[in-house]
Amino acid sequence: MILLPSLLAAEAGGQGRFESDAETVEQALRELPVENLLFDERGELRGLVNIYVDGVDMRERGGLSAPLGEIETVRVVAAIAGG
Amino acid sequence: MVGALILAGTRKGLFLLRGDEDRREWKVNDPLLPGWEIFHAVVDPRDGMLYACTNSFVYGATVHRSSDLGQTWERAEELGLPEESELKLERTWHLEPGHESQPETLWLGGAPGVLFRSDDRGKTWEPVRGVVEHPTREQWNPGAGGMCCHSIQLDPSDANRLYIGISAAGVFRTDDGGESWSPANKGTAADFMPDPYPEVGQCVHKLLVHPSRPDRLWQQNHCGVYRSDDRGESWERLDGNGLPSGFGFPIALHPREPDTAFVVPEEGAENRVTCNGRLGIYRTRDGGASWAERPNGLPAPAWLAVMRESMASDRLDPVGIYLGTQSGSVFVSPDEGESWVEAARQLPPILSIEVAEWQ
Repeated sequence: MILLPSLLAAEAGGQGRFESDAETVEQALRELPVENLLFDERGELRGLVNIYVDGVDMRERGGLSAPLGEIETVRVVAAIAGG
Repeated sequence: MVGALILAGTRKGLFLLRGDEDRREWKVNDPLLPGWEIFHAVVDPRDGMLYACTNSFVYGATVHRSSDLGQTWERAEELGLPEESELKLERTWHLEPGHESQPETLWLGGAPGVLFRSDDRGKTWEPVRGVVEHPTREQWNPGAGGMCCHSIQLDPSDANRLYIGISAAGVFRTDDGGESWSPANKGTAADFMPDPYPEVGQCVHKLLVHPSRPDRLWQQNHCGVYRSDDRGESWERLDGNGLPSGFGFPIALHPREPDTAFVVPEEGAENRVTCNGRLGIYRTRDGGASWAERPNGLPAPAWLAVMRESMASDRLDPVGIYLGTQSGSVFVSPDEGESWVEAARQLPPILSIEVAEWQ
């Protein structure tokens, strides 16, 4: 299950949860209708987008290439900053 | 009845304000595109499509469009800069509908000093290489708002002629539909540079072409107010004789009177607030030879700021003048500056004002 925050859910037509058969975190994110908000024009994940895999920061699971085999949720979280 | 519709782009969404027939009473809609900073929004008069330059500090810069005045939105599918440019799109700043003869075409300005063209009504965008790869680019420098392409102006008499304003690169003109761009800064000052009259590097704050006399251009610059009567070949400085300061950001024109313009002077680059402790709107009716404040209905004392995109004029008779402040008020003059009403207050900081007509 891929979970999106409210702004991205609005951009995905009001849908905040997506099922996925993807093999990696990156594949799952790139299948989303908000792919071009998560990745910039070089294909790099935007710096203030955080990804949590079953509650653990993606970077501790191998980053975008982390396998999704037994994973239940991938949660997209905007960095906590700004005003 | 034809009424005016104000599009107020703010730091926190897009607000639509609908006016009554007199343009003195206004109703404010709940914000559209919540979560997005709206640097500019405009209704394309050719087909009624609403476009917004939308920016997020998390999700980047894009463009949204709506065919039903904001009830539903689509986002641009392709928008970015080529890898070989070594540039990344930072912000979308201004969207300009194309020439009447090119109904599918739109132009989009952004940071860092870039221009895009769409030939499918905003679905996909191609960078304009003549700007992205301009030979003078190394001489350009960003201002406080980034290196923004904030002004795009068309010559209604010639679909191949356009002007852009980039801060701080200056004004550029194309006569071949966007293939090549020539600096058009002769006579405009860059007092902050060692050479105060360079070919490029001027900090144009807002550039406008007069719709009924397209050889005439106006600009509010970091270093003065200017007019050109020869398509930007040369500029005359106009900020004496009544203006308290040459510094300011927006400028608005009367669509039928080429000699009439409106500016909002600020104290100066180091104190960006309206002059003399009030919101002073100044009007010229003689091509900039003289200026007079039009204060009737405007707040005082007041220390406000009006951003470069936050003033507009309509095409009604008499002409309406509109401005938004960084402190979230919208002021409207339904009579060419003679009197003002506060159409809205306590909105988020206002980044842009445009006006459309609605029936």
